Amino acid sequence: MVTKSRRRLISAVVRYTILTVWGIIAFFPIYWMLSTSFKPDIQWFAWPPVYFPDPPTLTNYMNVWLGAEQYDQTQYAISSQTPLVSLWNSTVIAFSSTFLAVAFGSVLAYGVSRYRILSEARMFQLLMLRMIPPIVVVAPLSLYYSALGLLDTRIGLIMVYFLTTLPYAVWMTKSFIDEVPREVEQAAEILGASRWRTVFEIVLPLIRSGLVATFLFILILTWSEYLLALIITKTQVSTLPIELSKYQGSTEGRVYGRQAALAVGITIPLMIVGLIIRKHLARGFSFGMVRR
Amino acid sequence: MARIELSSLNKTFGSVTAVKNLNFTIEDGEFVVFVGPSGCGKTTTLRMIAGFEDPTSGEIRIDGRVVNDLEPRDRDLGMVFQSHALFPHKNVAQNIEFGLRMKKVPAQERIKRVRQVAEMVRIAHLLDKMPSQCSGGESQRIALARTLVTNPSTFLLDEPLSSLDAKLRRELRAECDRLHQELKRTFIFVTHDQEEAMTLADRIVVMRAGEIVQVGSPMQIYSNPINYFVADFFGSPSMNLVAGSIVRDNGVARFRSQLFDVVLPERLRTASPGKATLGIRPEHVGIGDDANSNTALPVRLVEPLGKDTLLYFDAGTERAFVAVSEGLRMAATKVGERLSLSLDSGQMHLFDAEGRCIRAS
Repeated sequence: MVTKSRRRLISAVVRYTILTVWGIIAFFPIYWMLSTSFKPDIQWFAWPPVYFPDPPTLTNYMNVWLGAEQYDQTQYAISSQTPLVSLWNSTVIAFSSTFLAVAFGSVLAYGVSRYRILSEARMFQLLMLRMIPPIVVVAPLSLYYSALGLLDTRIGLIMVYFLTTLPYAVWMTKSFIDEVPREVEQAAEILGASRWRTVFEIVLPLIRSGLVATFLFILILTWSEYLLALIITKTQVSTLPIELSKYQGSTEGRVYGRQAALAVGITIPLMIVGLIIRKHLARGFSFGMVRR
Repeated sequence: MARIELSSLNKTFGSVTAVKNLNFTIEDGEFVVFVGPSGCGKTTTLRMIAGFEDPTSGEIRIDGRVVNDLEPRDRDLGMVFQSHALFPHKNVAQNIEFGLRMKKVPAQERIKRVRQVAEMVRIAHLLDKMPSQCSGGESQRIALARTLVTNPSTFLLDEPLSSLDAKLRRELRAECDRLHQELKRTFIFVTHDQEEAMTLADRIVVMRAGEIVQVGSPMQIYSNPINYFVADFFGSPSMNLVAGSIVRDNGVARFRSQLFDVVLPERLRTASPGKATLGIRPEHVGIGDDANSNTALPVRLVEPLGKDTLLYFDAGTERAFVAVSEGLRMAATKVGERLSLSLDSGQMHLFDAEGRCIRAS
């Protein structure tokens, strides 16, 4: 007969085995990206594969990010723009469009949650906007943008990201606002707070964690968006995903080390943001006081 | 000072009528309790007074001034919610201080008044804590303090005690009573608990299906229920209600049912024959008085409560017929034992087929 403790042990072994295998599969590409970014040229394609760079080198980073000595004249000159400019473009575009989406989205969500300014059907239609594949709207959008002079501008990309992520912002923040009991707001109102005061002093602080989570979610979308950026930007405001893609079809051959160094640079800012706000992400909601 | 008048007040939500033609005046300094089963419109009425719901028609006046169009914050009211509705991200002192801050009271003054009120409701030791660190009873005291500190003319209390356990409820009930005595303000209290209504109110307003059924002092409501519903709602254990009919037998009016045959007292002799319900409170049923017996029933259950003993008799219906015996004298009564019961004819109530109380003519 299998005892209870034995059964627990077997189940733990099985669970951890599955998790470990899954973990290796999931993390291997990230490990490979990191390791390749530190490899000297000859180890990029080496067979049998080189798992640990020997010796580790920063040449790839120097070349890609700082436009080191050979940037202009060597075979590794892929893009006309240095990645630092793209990094700046990506930062400005992703952060401002995300900020706008969350700010407007949460105001709209408040209206929906408290005043039903949009019916359920309208809310669903709003989400439906996201179900249209971006490729479908790319052609008309670029025509409009060309006519309006918004092609290849930061503001153009900010606008389109803001509008395409707004539905997510509304849906996500609405679910957080719905969690704030109406009575808490009414308590503030009857104590003398105006509606705006109530929103800023009671509602927003209470959904802070939710706002932060929404912000990060949308930031990830806008930071790594590729298709719209490809069509709307040309040479002036190229973003990091566009830069990265240039390595894929490059006429200069596969420069994996440089590509990996660039990829690491794209990944790190999001990780930093994630680390800064992890407290909020983990905390979620703890309305200790509201008994239902 | 606040005298609150509700005139021809109506509220509908879509096709549902929550409050129907309410006319009622709450006098200054009065403690009024709205009581009734859930969905009877009592909370909607309170929320209309507070300004959170707009009446579909009718007027609300506070001290003669129509307030229908005033925002909640401009009505000089304080409200305590069932869920306490404390601000979870502010500590207790900040919670209490909130109303003063909105009224732009200077900081020094605020600190002083927060402390005063906290001492008044005995939570001074909690001022630095977060609401989530406080128990249910403490939270309700904080909610009370937060309202008290703004010194409103009227306190609106929406089932403030219903989320607490029985002991705390009694404790806070006494607290509400004490505050009312001390502050001499108008209190409007909503509850579905008849015991709360009985112990707190100067006047009770019984509501059902959006309408006022009866208004009166606790004793009036208890001793002279206007209909079957009120009779059944008030009292614990509730009134015994026996279905039967009024008959005339040799010129004498009697109430007869399967198990009871009672000669009606003088004041009810003129009652016209027909279907009726006899009501009698458990404390007005005599046990074991064979000489004046109206019926004899088998005991179904004995509940010794210490101060007195409840005896549940099998009356052939789902609901038992209840009698109270003082002390523990009857505590050893065997289940199934048949005892004779006598009804105090002076305390009998009769309700006609529509449930209305049949009054003496």
